[in-house]
Amino acid sequence: MTRVLIVDDEPGIVASLRRTLRKEGWEILTAVGPRDALQILQGGAVDMVISDYQMPGMTGLELLSQVTERWPETVCVLISGWADSMSEQKLREAGVRTMISKPWDDGELKATLRTLLSS
Amino acid sequence: MRSNDTSEESPALIRIVVFEPPGPPNETLAALDRIGAEVEFSRCTDLETCAQAAADDEVDLVVFDRRATTEISAVLAALGASAPPSVAILDKGSPESDALEAFRAGVSDCVREAGDYAEVLPVVALEQIRRWRQQRKRAVADRKIAWLERYSENIVQSINSALLVVDVDGQITLANSTAGATLDADPLEMTARSIDEWFPSSALEPSLVRQTLEKGVRFRGAETMIALPGRDAVPIGISCTPLLDSDGGTHGAVAIFQDLSEIKQLQQQILQQEKMASIGQLAAGVAHEINNPMGFIHANLYQMAEYLDDLDAYLEVVDSLVETANEVANPALGSVLGRLAETRKRVDFNFLREDFRKAVLESQEGSERIRHIVRDLRDFSHKGNAERSLADVNQCVDTTANIVFTMMKHSVVLEKEYGELPELSCYPMELKQVFMNLLVNAYQSIEEALASGSREAAIRIVTAEKNAGIVVRVTDTGVGISESDRQRIFDPFFTTKEVGAGTGLGLSTSYAIIERHGGHMTVDSEPQQGATFEVWLPLDPVAASSEAP
Repeated sequence: MTRVLIVDDEPGIVASLRRTLRKEGWEILTAVGPRDALQILQGGAVDMVISDYQMPGMTGLELLSQVTERWPETVCVLISGWADSMSEQKLREAGVRTMISKPWDDGELKATLRTLLSS
Repeated sequence: MRSNDTSEESPALIRIVVFEPPGPPNETLAALDRIGAEVEFSRCTDLETCAQAAADDEVDLVVFDRRATTEISAVLAALGASAPPSVAILDKGSPESDALEAFRAGVSDCVREAGDYAEVLPVVALEQIRRWRQQRKRAVADRKIAWLERYSENIVQSINSALLVVDVDGQITLANSTAGATLDADPLEMTARSIDEWFPSSALEPSLVRQTLEKGVRFRGAETMIALPGRDAVPIGISCTPLLDSDGGTHGAVAIFQDLSEIKQLQQQILQQEKMASIGQLAAGVAHEINNPMGFIHANLYQMAEYLDDLDAYLEVVDSLVETANEVANPALGSVLGRLAETRKRVDFNFLREDFRKAVLESQEGSERIRHIVRDLRDFSHKGNAERSLADVNQCVDTTANIVFTMMKHSVVLEKEYGELPELSCYPMELKQVFMNLLVNAYQSIEEALASGSREAAIRIVTAEKNAGIVVRVTDTGVGISESDRQRIFDPFFTTKEVGAGTGLGLSTSYAIIERHGGHMTVDSEPQQGATFEVWLPLDPVAASSEAP
């Protein structure tokens, strides 16, 4: 079963993403922060990590670049409330495959994630 | 004589040039020595040296000791108008006509080398020297006065401020050239005219100059308006000082002022820029904070709509269950069905089901709107990480115009007048956004005008090269813009559109984009007269921004 980890310190985002992806038939894991996320990943790799950018302790970009380094197979998706401050190059270096800005469009989001997971 | 001498302010040393005769010396030098003060002699025996020595500014007197008239006139002619006084000593036996000739040659006085000439000569010489020195002092003083006059006139005329002097009645007695330029008048023709012509004054509201004249009030750096025929009132900064006579009464006033129009305009511009910058920062912060909660509100609303579909599917089955159950005569079932029917009525189930969906849809619409506002906000403060590229502005305008044109429901005449333009280094997508905004606004304004009975419906797009830049002008036949709206038209969130029809960020975003290109955007419009928006983009934005104050 496809395993997807959602990381965000905002519980509302985690819950709504879980709702959105409920019918995809994936196993949804959630973490409230980067540390929590890394702990979960150490317990077993996942197919995709969707992480928020602004989080206490570590940015989503830092988390995802660690994920890319340790679990290169994992698809990394960054989700952000403010898309401007990140350069394409930084995203690429961290292994981010796509970036989603809040608020997202449900249909688009699902389609994007499906494509990324099937490739 | 001696006491007189020492009372003179002139230098004590007296310089005398003596043109001596070739023959044996006489008593002349000794006699001149008797003048009293210290005397320095320059003794010459030929014409050239004499003329040269006498040309010195410090020389007080030239003495021609028994020289021929021809020699005297030659020396004096060489000295010209600035010659010091001269005394001719005539030979004892010379005829009376010699004296006359010496005077004709230009000497100031003659002394005959007669018996008492040693007594007479110093007296005559001294008298000439005294006169000469007085004359020289007066000339120096006159020159100084003339210089001072020129000096103050120069200052008055060359100061960069307008200067007016008025008498106690408010009549202008002096106006410098800047005053003339500022007040649109010939400074010379302004004298004797009333100050009230330019500084409107009434009994209730006396002008600042009048207040100075009447109450002796001083103003420094005050701001007021002046009236110019056929023009808008001009803002000026003014300092007013009363002219006081010795007993303290006011006998006039001096006003120094400067046209503040340009400064005011710059202030306005800077204010606008500052407002933009702070709004931009605020927007970035707010957008970020809003996006988090908006993220899940938005997503949840969509999920709720999906849930409703699922619920509906389920309730449909429940409905058919109830229908079937109603046909079965079972007391236990009947009681539950009764409660179900009662509850259904109490909660107005049919309305609830329908309205739930409506409420979700409306909330989705609202959330969608917030999403757009936030996106506009983000665009507004967006620094733009796209690279600059060379673009054909005509093409940017044209593709945008074509997109907008296909969206226009009413038939609008689109006039295009594209000039030949050089390629511009710019952010083409951003510029297209600006043109889109201007064209959509123009169209919406025309729609509004048509609704209120206007028959004209045209948008005119003009591009041209101008002032080392590119001008794009969009003119419409719409409803126009009132003066008060024009003041705020580039302010963020300012909108005249209906609630929900516009975020009020379109023009402020456009303004910010044009500013990022180093250009500027202006609007010209009157109510019911359509509007013209003009965008100017510099070909060299760096040069344009360094020229800006």
